[in-house]
Amino acid sequence: MSSSRLEYLLASRGMVRELDGFVVAACFDASGTVASFGMGDGTQHLARVGETDPWVRHVVHEGGLLALAPDVTPGSFISGGDDGFFRRLRANGDIDDIASFGSRWVEHVTSFVDAKSGLLACSERKTVHLFDRDGRKLKSLDHPSTVAGIGFDAKGKRVAAAHYNGATLWFVAAKTDSPRKLEWKGSHTGVVIHPDGTAVVTSMQENALHGWRLTDGQNMRMSGYPAKTAFMSFSRNGKWLATSGADAVVLWPFFGGGPMGKAPTELAGGAGVICTAVACHPLQDVVAAGFADGMVVLIDIGTGRILPGAPPGGGSVSAMAWNSTGAWLAFGTEDGRAALIDLTAREG
Amino acid sequence: MADVSQVPVTVLTGFLGAGKTTLLNRILTEQHGRRYAVVINEFGELGVDNDLVVDADEEVFEMNNGCICCTVRGDLIRILGALFRRRGKFDGIIIETTGLANPAPVAQTFFVDENLRTHAKLDAILTVVDACNLPARLADSPEASAQIAFADIIILNKTDLVTPGQLDAVEARVRGINPLARIIRAERAAVPVPELLDRGAFDLDRILAMDPDFLTHDEHGHSEGVNSVSFEVSRPVDPEKFQAWMGQLLQEKGADLLRTKGILEHPNEDRRFAFQAVHMIADGDYVGKWKEGVPRKSKLVFIGRDLNRPQLRRGFEACQVGA
Repeated sequence: MSSSRLEYLLASRGMVRELDGFVVAACFDASGTVASFGMGDGTQHLARVGETDPWVRHVVHEGGLLALAPDVTPGSFISGGDDGFFRRLRANGDIDDIASFGSRWVEHVTSFVDAKSGLLACSERKTVHLFDRDGRKLKSLDHPSTVAGIGFDAKGKRVAAAHYNGATLWFVAAKTDSPRKLEWKGSHTGVVIHPDGTAVVTSMQENALHGWRLTDGQNMRMSGYPAKTAFMSFSRNGKWLATSGADAVVLWPFFGGGPMGKAPTELAGGAGVICTAVACHPLQDVVAAGFADGMVVLIDIGTGRILPGAPPGGGSVSAMAWNSTGAWLAFGTEDGRAALIDLTAREG
Repeated sequence: MADVSQVPVTVLTGFLGAGKTTLLNRILTEQHGRRYAVVINEFGELGVDNDLVVDADEEVFEMNNGCICCTVRGDLIRILGALFRRRGKFDGIIIETTGLANPAPVAQTFFVDENLRTHAKLDAILTVVDACNLPARLADSPEASAQIAFADIIILNKTDLVTPGQLDAVEARVRGINPLARIIRAERAAVPVPELLDRGAFDLDRILAMDPDFLTHDEHGHSEGVNSVSFEVSRPVDPEKFQAWMGQLLQEKGADLLRTKGILEHPNEDRRFAFQAVHMIADGDYVGKWKEGVPRKSKLVFIGRDLNRPQLRRGFEACQVGA
């Protein structure tokens, strides 16, 4: 992909900062108007979309920040760190401890953002801890080995955890905890649940994905990646699972009997650069993808048409997220580039 | 991504009571101008306040890569992956293993995981042994000989608790298992820290300096079951022949081959090719030029169990160009 003559959205409608450190994660708050970039040095940098206000830096963890997610309350974020804290950064800059675990790292956090209920979760070692929207502990869920990824389903009814030899699916509200154990040998490093709740997919150490169709327990094997898959994102209606880890955006079809026995669709390939991050648009069949050279593109899944988002530079793309309306895309890189792209006019 | 600087990683092994924690405390408290992140297993034993001490569970799992003995440490993949995002906070990483651990999964992790390969380099496996208790450990525990076999540097500790004659005998046994490692004698783990860390001991250059005659003696005392053989050939080694031979050898005998290291002369190539393997997992790269005016020789060392010397020699010799 020659970059010289392309007009990148970042130049015409973007905001970029070169921050100090590694962008571990990026996300938008519940209202979709504030972006947070979580950094390897334990800070979060907050940017209000569409405004030229300076970004605000908050020291949230004493060590490194390991995971970041929106809080249920607008303007606020939750994060986990290697200081053992699960914390909330409020819109006014206050920081609360939701929980602390001593020397144990809080490696993963996630939330189910909902106007009425809302849930928070974090994991340390082999345990997932669930909290209500106010940060009151609901329950702790133990696993046979260290939890390497957590995720709620689209309704906040179930939470999945990835670990060695499979994943475990829990009902959040169950009185007696008898989880569904999804078994497959190997180290599972990340997990997503299909938007309609019918499948669970994990990423694996062996440059492959594994899935379980929940209706009949059938296994899905999705392999052939040259690198590890760090990002998995279902398209808005669950038709496609977009993934990183190849020198193209790999999309697995979750329709017509797929992904079993189906070849994936590969988009935005050809440059020989590994795709390191993907995020599907929340409302349209569009996927944003970041590459190891720092390039970011937006792809229309139906037509394969590519819109250049950001030129190469700034290191490998390590963080990527859309806001809830799909009007803004945030991404960050290993060398500290943090950026927002405004797509409002294109959504009309 | 060639400009990513690789963090040196030191793996610290040794039986409980050999002096690992004493050594670790020395490394963390002595003024040597370098900062280390430390991954330990017996949290709390370390009497040092260091915000870069990480408490880990040794979580070993099998890779589904067709390699029957390929076990790796999943906890290290996660922990080091997170540490790499805190660039500039430390100069090196030390991984302490529990006393009974086999070092193979730790070493294999650094070969197998692409993120670790990109950001870290295994600097050395450092094994602390108790000069007084080693004979008993070798007799009752297979891990003791494995820890010695895997080591790049061996600290023969507690030398004040044995007589000079016993010390020499223990050192000879260590040497019999691993002829390649540097052996440092110590009391109370008092070793100059710069001698241990960021030495590039995992680099294979030291093999070149090795005297092959030393290894042509039949090793004594095979009760440990682990010994070593080494070979030298003077004609260039054909890379394809070598790969075919080594690939099959590791596939068939990898479980018994703890470590394999070599420096190879490839035809029409001014650089030395360094080869190494841990069990079945092999890796190789060019490591700088041959010295001018010195005859080039390819050397290969096996450390393992049930080594068939004549067979291995014939195999290596047949890899030479024109053989």
